[in-house]
Amino acid sequence: MSKRSSIASWFYILLLVVAPMNAPAQSKEYQIKAAFLFNFAQFVNWPSGAFPGTNAPFCIGVLGDDPFSGALDATIQGETIDNHKIIVERSQNVADLKNCQMIFVSKSERKHVAEILSALDSKPILTVSEVDGFAERGGGINFYLAGTKVRFEINPGVAQSDGLKISAQLLSLGKIVQSAKEDK
Amino acid sequence: MNWLKKLPLKRKITLVILLTCSAVLLLACGVLAAYQLFDFRRTLVRDSIVLADVIGKNTRAALAFQDENSAQQTLSTLQSEPYVSAACLYDANGNEFANYVQSGSGVQLPAHPPAAGHYFELGHLALFHPIILNGKQIGTIYLQTELKGMYNRLRVSAGVALLVLLGSCLVAVLLAAPLQKPISGPILVLAEAVRNIAQRKDYTVRVPAQDSNETGLLTEAFNQLLAGIEERDKALRGEIAERKGAEGKVQSQLARLELLHSITRAISERLDLQSIFQVVIRTLEDNLPIDLICICLYEQNANVLTVVGLGTSGAALATQLGLSREARVPIDENGLSQCVRGRLVYESDVSGAKFPFPQRLAQAGLRSFVAAPLLVESKVFGALIAARKQTEGFSSGDCEFLKQLSGHVALAAHQAQLYEALQQAYDDLRQTQQAVMQQERLKALGQMASGIAHDINNAISPVALYTESLLEKEPNLSARARDYLGTIQHAIEDVSHTVARMREFYRQREQQLALTPVNLNQMIQQVIDLSRARWSDMPQQRGIFIKIETDLAAALPPVMGVESEIREALVNLIFNAVDAMPNGGTLALRTKISGKPARLAQVEVTDTGIGMDEDVRKRCLEPFFTTKGERGTGLGLAMVYGTVRRHNADIEIESAPGKGTTFRINFPVPAMPAGAPAKDAAPFVVPSRLRILVVDDDPLLIKSLRDTLETDGHVIVTAGGGQEGITAFRHAYERKEPFAAVITDLGMPYVDGRQVASAIKGISPSTPVILLTGWGQRLVAEGDIPAHVNHVLNKPPKLRDLREALAQTLSSTKS
Repeated sequence: MSKRSSIASWFYILLLVVAPMNAPAQSKEYQIKAAFLFNFAQFVNWPSGAFPGTNAPFCIGVLGDDPFSGALDATIQGETIDNHKIIVERSQNVADLKNCQMIFVSKSERKHVAEILSALDSKPILTVSEVDGFAERGGGINFYLAGTKVRFEINPGVAQSDGLKISAQLLSLGKIVQSAKEDK
Repeated sequence: MNWLKKLPLKRKITLVILLTCSAVLLLACGVLAAYQLFDFRRTLVRDSIVLADVIGKNTRAALAFQDENSAQQTLSTLQSEPYVSAACLYDANGNEFANYVQSGSGVQLPAHPPAAGHYFELGHLALFHPIILNGKQIGTIYLQTELKGMYNRLRVSAGVALLVLLGSCLVAVLLAAPLQKPISGPILVLAEAVRNIAQRKDYTVRVPAQDSNETGLLTEAFNQLLAGIEERDKALRGEIAERKGAEGKVQSQLARLELLHSITRAISERLDLQSIFQVVIRTLEDNLPIDLICICLYEQNANVLTVVGLGTSGAALATQLGLSREARVPIDENGLSQCVRGRLVYESDVSGAKFPFPQRLAQAGLRSFVAAPLLVESKVFGALIAARKQTEGFSSGDCEFLKQLSGHVALAAHQAQLYEALQQAYDDLRQTQQAVMQQERLKALGQMASGIAHDINNAISPVALYTESLLEKEPNLSARARDYLGTIQHAIEDVSHTVARMREFYRQREQQLALTPVNLNQMIQQVIDLSRARWSDMPQQRGIFIKIETDLAAALPPVMGVESEIREALVNLIFNAVDAMPNGGTLALRTKISGKPARLAQVEVTDTGIGMDEDVRKRCLEPFFTTKGERGTGLGLAMVYGTVRRHNADIEIESAPGKGTTFRINFPVPAMPAGAPAKDAAPFVVPSRLRILVVDDDPLLIKSLRDTLETDGHVIVTAGGGQEGITAFRHAYERKEPFAAVITDLGMPYVDGRQVASAIKGISPSTPVILLTGWGQRLVAEGDIPAHVNHVLNKPPKLRDLREALAQTLSSTKS
C-alpha cells in the first residue's frame, strides 16, 4: 500500500506542477500550427492565377471551428507573402473560401473531408488539416503530433496537380504520402 | 658598425650589393606577404560567408519548422570542409538549434551568437551569419574556420620567397665578384703600394698608371705625393745624418767639458803640487785613450824639464823611454822649446822626427804626442805631455782640451804655491805676533821695574853721598864708625847692583855695549854665588840637596863679550839645571879649552836630572817653548841662545831622558887677547871753588849734594825745580856771576832735565851740564844722551864719579 501510495503522491505532485501549463500547452500547439501555416505559405509557390489581382491579399481560410483562438491572427499580423497582405477568413462553408489560397480544415469538418476536397479539387488552393488520413484522401498537408512535436505529412501529387509548387526543403521536412487509390 | 669599416673593400662592395638586393627583395616579399595575408583573409571571409549563406538557406526550412534533425543533417555536410572546425545554428531567440563540431577539434561553441559579422580569433575565423526567411531573420549560423589552411599557404609562400631571396643573393654574389673589379681593383693596387711603402719605407716605388677616371687621378696624385715624400725623405735623411754628426761632436765636447770640470774640481780641492799632478794624470788616463802621460816642471836656468808626475798605465813605456820620475829631459830645438815658450805642440807623426825627444818617443812605439805648456802669468813653469801609439792620435778637440786643462792645472799649481807661501807667511806672522805679545808683556814689566829702580836710586843717593863723604872727609871717625860706614857703603853698592840687575831684566839688546874681555872662571864663581838662593836655599827648604861641582881650566883665556849677558845666560842654565833635578843631584860647572887650531873656550853646565827626549831637545831653544807649564816663560833658553849667537859662540846640548843634560857653550877665543884697557883711576884735577847750580826736585838729594860738594870747597846754589833752576842760572849769568857747571836731575815735574840743559846751553853754551839720572845706564844703552848734556851720571852718584865728571866736562869745555 505504501509503495503505491508513494507513486500516486509523486504523480499527484507532478500533476500539480504540470496542470497550470495544460491550457497554454493546448494553445501552444496551435501557436505552432499557426506559425506552420504561415511558414507553408513561404515554402509554396502559387501560380499567378491563384490571385484575383496583383494587389489581392493572401487569404488563409479556416473552415469549420477555429481552433487557433487568435494565434493565427497574431502570427500573420503584419506579415506578407510575396507582397500580398495576409488575411484570415473563417467560414463553415467551403464555398465561401473559394478565393483563399490556403484553407485550414478544422477537426470539426472531419466528416466532410471528401466533399470539401472534391469542391476544392483542381483549384490552386493548399489544403491543410489535422484529421488523420487527410493527406491520403487528397488533402495537401496534414498535421500530426510526433510526441510533443508538431509534424506534418504532405501529399505532393495533390498539391502540385493544382499548380502549386512545393519547395523541396518543405518536402524534405514533411512525411510524403500518396493518395489512396481505392478512395479515388 | 666597426666591423663593417674594417672589412676589406672587396667584401664591402659585395656586402653592399647583397644588402641592397636583400633589402629590396625583403621589402617586396613583405608587401607580397602582407597582400597575400590580406587577400587570404578576405577570401576566407568571403568563402565562409558563402558557405554560411548556403547552409543558412538550406536550414531555413528546418529552422522554420523547428526540425533539428534536418538542420543537424544539413550541418553535418560540413564534414567535407576540412577547415571548418565547428558550426552552430541559433534560432531567432539566439538559442542553439543545431550544431556541428569537427571530430577531434574540441571546440567550445558560443552559447549565444553575438552581432552578425566575422571575427578573427586565435587560430580561427568566427563568422556569425543571419538566416533570413522572407526578409525576416529567423536564426543565425555560426561558422568557425581554422586559419591553419591560410597559415600553411602563407608558409609555403614564405618558403618560396626565402628560396628566391637566397637565389638572388647567390646571383648577386656571383655577379658582384666580376662587377666590383673595376672599382676595387685600382684602389687595392693603391693600397698594396701604400702598404709596401709603409713597410719598406721605400719611397721610390710608383703605382702603375690607371684609367683616366677618378682612380687614375688618384693614382697620379699619389705618385706625385710619393715623389714629394721621396725628395723630402732624402733631404731629411741628409739632415738627420748631419745632426747626428753634430750631436756626436757636441756629446764628445760635453764629455770633455765634464772631464775638464771634474779634473778642475778635483785639483781645486788639493793644495800640494804632487797631489794635483797625480789627480790630473789619473783622471786623464782613466778617461782618454792616452798611452803615456807625464807632467814635467821646467827649470829655466838649466833649460831642462824634470818629470814630476807619471801615469801608472804608461809606467812600463815610460821606463823604456827613460822618463822615470825625476828624470831630466833636455829641451830640444823644435818640439819642446816651442812648448816652453808657451805654445801647445802637437806632433801627429814622430816616426820621421829629427829631434831627440820625438825620436825617443818613436823608439818606444809612440807616434803622436801633445806637449801643453803650464803657464802662469805668461811664464812657463812646466809641461803636460801626452802621447799615443797611433799617428794622428789627437784631434783638434783633444788638443784644445789639453790646452784648456793645462791652463787649469797651471792655475791650480800656481794657487797651491801661493797657498804654501801664504801659509808660511801666516805661520811666521803668528810666531811674530806671539813674540811681540810676549815682549810687550816683558816691556810693561820692565817699565814697572825701571820706575821702581829709579825711585830706589833716588832714595839711596843721599845715603851713598854722605857715606862716601864721611869716610873721605872725616879723619876723626872712630874705627867702629868707619867700619859701619864701610858696611853701609857696601850695602848701598849691593842695592845699586841689585837695582841695576833688575833693570837688565827688561833691557833690550845692547848692541852698542862694547865687548869687554870676560874671565869665564870668575864669571862662574860669580853666578854660583848669585844663584845660591836658587840652588841651595830653596831646594833645602823642601829637603832636597843639590851638590855643586866646579872644574875650571886654569889657563882659560878671556873671551870677548858682554859680561852681564854671559852672566845672565849662565844663571839661566843653572836655573834650568836646578829645575831638571826636582829630587836633587849634582850640578857641575866646567870650563875647558879645546885644542883645535880655532881655539875655543868651553863652558859646560851639566845636571843629573830628568833629561830630555829627542823632540824636546830639538825644540828647547825655541822661544816660548817650555816643559814647565805655567812656571816657565819659555824664554830662558831662548835668551841663552840669543846671547850665544851674539857672541859668535855655539851651543851643544847632550841629553837623554833620565840621563841628565849637558849644555856646552863654545866661545871663540880671540887670536889677540884684547889688552884690557884697565880703567885706571886716571889722575884728574878738580878745580876748587866752583860755582855749581844743582837742580833737583828731591830736597834730600839736593841737601846731600850741597853738603858733599860744599865739603869739596865748591859754592853750591840749589833749585827745587827745572824752571826755578833756569831762572836762577839766568839771573846769575846776568849778574855776571855765572855758574861754572850745572848738575840737574833728569826726571822732574813740569820742566825736566833735558829742557833745563837746553835752556842753559841757550844762555851759555859753554857751561857744562851734568845730567843725574836714575835711568842713566839706559840712556847710555839706548844712545840717548840728550843734546846739550855733557855727561850723564847714574844714581846713586858716587863722589868720585861726580868729581871726575866735573873735571872732564870743565876741561873739555875749556879746551
